[in-house]
Amino acid sequence: MDQPFEGLRVVEAGGTVAVAAATKTFSDFGADVLKVEPLDGGVMRRMVPFPDDRPHIDRGGFHLAFDTGKRSIALDLATPSGREVLTALAANADLLVLELPPEVAEAVLETSGDVPGRASTVTISPHGFDGPFRERIENDMSMFAWSTRMHRHAVEGSEPLRYGPQVPSAQVGATAAAAGSAALWRKTEHGERADIQIAGVEALAGNVDSWFVIWSMAGVNLPRGDGPSKMAYPAGNYACADGYVLFAAQGEPFFTRLCAGIGHPELTEDPRFMDEARAMHWDDFMTFLGPWLGARTRNEVFTELQRFGVMVAPVLEAPDVLTDPQAVARGSFVEVDQPGAGTTTLAGPPFRLDDAWQARPAPQLGEHTADVLDELGYSRDEQIALFRAGVI
Amino acid sequence: MSSNLLTGIRAVEACEVWAGPMGGSLLGDLGAEVVKVESFPRSSMTRPLAAAAGAQGSVLSQGADGPAYEISGIHHLANRNKRNIAVDVRSEGGTAVMHRLIAQADVFFEGYSAGTMERLGFGWERVREINPRVVMVSMPGWGVEGPYQGYVTLGSGLDAGAGHASIRGYPDRDPSYIPGIFHSDATGALALVTAVVAGLRRREQSGEGCFIDMSQIEVLTWQLPGVFAEWTMNQRRPQRLGNVDPHIVPHGCYRAAGDDSWVVIAAETDRQWAGLAALIGHARWAKDGDPRASVPGRLRAREEIDSAIATFTATAPADEIADRVQEAGAIAAPTVDSAGLLGSPQLNAREWFNTVEHRYTGSRILNGFLWTTTEHPPSWDRACGLVGEHNDEVLVELGYSGDEIAALAEKGVIGDRYELPSP
Repeated sequence: MDQPFEGLRVVEAGGTVAVAAATKTFSDFGADVLKVEPLDGGVMRRMVPFPDDRPHIDRGGFHLAFDTGKRSIALDLATPSGREVLTALAANADLLVLELPPEVAEAVLETSGDVPGRASTVTISPHGFDGPFRERIENDMSMFAWSTRMHRHAVEGSEPLRYGPQVPSAQVGATAAAAGSAALWRKTEHGERADIQIAGVEALAGNVDSWFVIWSMAGVNLPRGDGPSKMAYPAGNYACADGYVLFAAQGEPFFTRLCAGIGHPELTEDPRFMDEARAMHWDDFMTFLGPWLGARTRNEVFTELQRFGVMVAPVLEAPDVLTDPQAVARGSFVEVDQPGAGTTTLAGPPFRLDDAWQARPAPQLGEHTADVLDELGYSRDEQIALFRAGVI
Repeated sequence: MSSNLLTGIRAVEACEVWAGPMGGSLLGDLGAEVVKVESFPRSSMTRPLAAAAGAQGSVLSQGADGPAYEISGIHHLANRNKRNIAVDVRSEGGTAVMHRLIAQADVFFEGYSAGTMERLGFGWERVREINPRVVMVSMPGWGVEGPYQGYVTLGSGLDAGAGHASIRGYPDRDPSYIPGIFHSDATGALALVTAVVAGLRRREQSGEGCFIDMSQIEVLTWQLPGVFAEWTMNQRRPQRLGNVDPHIVPHGCYRAAGDDSWVVIAAETDRQWAGLAALIGHARWAKDGDPRASVPGRLRAREEIDSAIATFTATAPADEIADRVQEAGAIAAPTVDSAGLLGSPQLNAREWFNTVEHRYTGSRILNGFLWTTTEHPPSWDRACGLVGEHNDEVLVELGYSGDEIAALAEKGVIGDRYELPSP
């Protein structure tokens, strides 16, 4: 069976986390993805970690994870010559995903606009190309700060925190993948192209886990946490024998199930823990829950209480996740033989559609420049000229 | 719908809380015709039957006149651009409604814990008999197959199980202070759209429908190379670093003037640093020969630089500091709350926010869309659906007569309100 995105050609340009994350799913599900990169490889190839902490343009953790199966063309898009090559690529593609400085992106879009049958486009930027913030330079943290979600990611009164490295940027990329896939559908099914614009701040602030709608309706900011809530409990991280487990069992029917799960079904009839009185008796409840948790590992708490239907999960570190029974049973991680970097362990498919999905090695910077220029019909002399001019 | 990218695609949603419903909203934003099958007669977790005690009570829309389950902000935020029918799918009549819905659908997606749909009689084997061309997506927290079948969770549990929670949070506080987040609901919603298109393309290739097993934790996991590669490459457990970047100075969140006001600032290159250093009154720190002028020198001077920036940021409110740092050529942003977002000069210049009318909450300013398009941009065509708001409309389309619909309502198979607990 063909891969679901087989036969499609997708071009990405910019070398950023968001564009790479956007096209990864297309690549792993069969599309021919051409990665147009800056001559210096761009920002994502420089992101940690590196094997043995040796920085290397072809061995960064984000590059190996997000560039799987793509072909790489190194091209200076700040020049008309570079944009001519990109325009030729876009003329033969179904989708162009780009994140470039506004003036370069506009030049690319304008040039490629003259080509018949050209690709649909997804243009990513932190703020969009109009408005007073058009020229602002942001990074993963500052874009996140504008989205309200950093403010919520804090203990009340303390410094707001970022998420894990590049997690918001990856979400912006996943947003581009979602909208881009719909554009691919429109183009292949109806022959109509589309131009989509994604502002990272809007993509983050408009999705769930932004609490803007709640605030707008309720008129107040819901209080942020200060450790596990002693009013509505158990919710948040609780210590057990070998680490922490996370509860979301403060409401019914989960609280009743929890009481049953820890062998104290009578607590749901105990006036201290019924209805609003519960908010006053967290310490009392912990005399039951604390010792029960202390005698069990994260996985024991997890599996024993899930049998009762309690919303609880182990707080795992990276090595624990790789050996988690569910991840092992499903093959949630795969190994890829990466030339130059040995065997790398990567996350598996984002969704399972029969046996589709494949993880292939990530390309070296500019590995396919000559092949692709050949395909586009550039003569060897023309390629040498581009090289001498510093365009490729 | 104004947006036309998925025009003509009919989707049926059987999901609660955030990930699935938000995914359904995004399909609607793209022009698909989405029918949400609302849990009935049990109300979903995001539709409380009464105002809860304490802080939870404030998720309800202020000044709104209507039942609690229709004015809950946590429900509204993930539900737009779809129609709503409320059906007791456990009843005989409800099963028949589901059959007809699935029979006419291109896409059927559900977000219950693994095994639930089988027990209700709508597992994939049965669904493909009903409609051999349907694309079915099941999106339980840990996926359909595997030893965790039937396990229940919210997004916060998946964030913990995926290893993300272990690297968030304050370095100097124990893990019980790591804030709970629901990030996987956002990534799950987005992945649903991509999975649906992949499934539709598979249908075009094979002529048959298909089943997609989408694990929300796996959807989150692939976006976390920053968590896993430290271990897989170098056998190091990634640590909680707060806002520190080990290789960039400055990179942090600083207290600004005012109550609980914070601003993030970073200078990733010598050029950005030169602008910032001059702004904070230390232009010399960016001159050749000064130890702080170089990237490695700044790593060694982290505390001194952070302290100088904190002194500067304490002099003005966060948005003013951010404007000045940006003008100086470095990276900065206020960590805005919802009121700050609504006041953003950028979002207002782009007219991002939407004013949405709803029968019970009235006119409210809600967020904008995740993307726009040059032609046929997404629009807020349908506000959050009321319980069973479109029962009649949808059932007529499915071929039910007026008498039959009345009989279903009479028997409690469909409804447009929840029974409230006696006071």
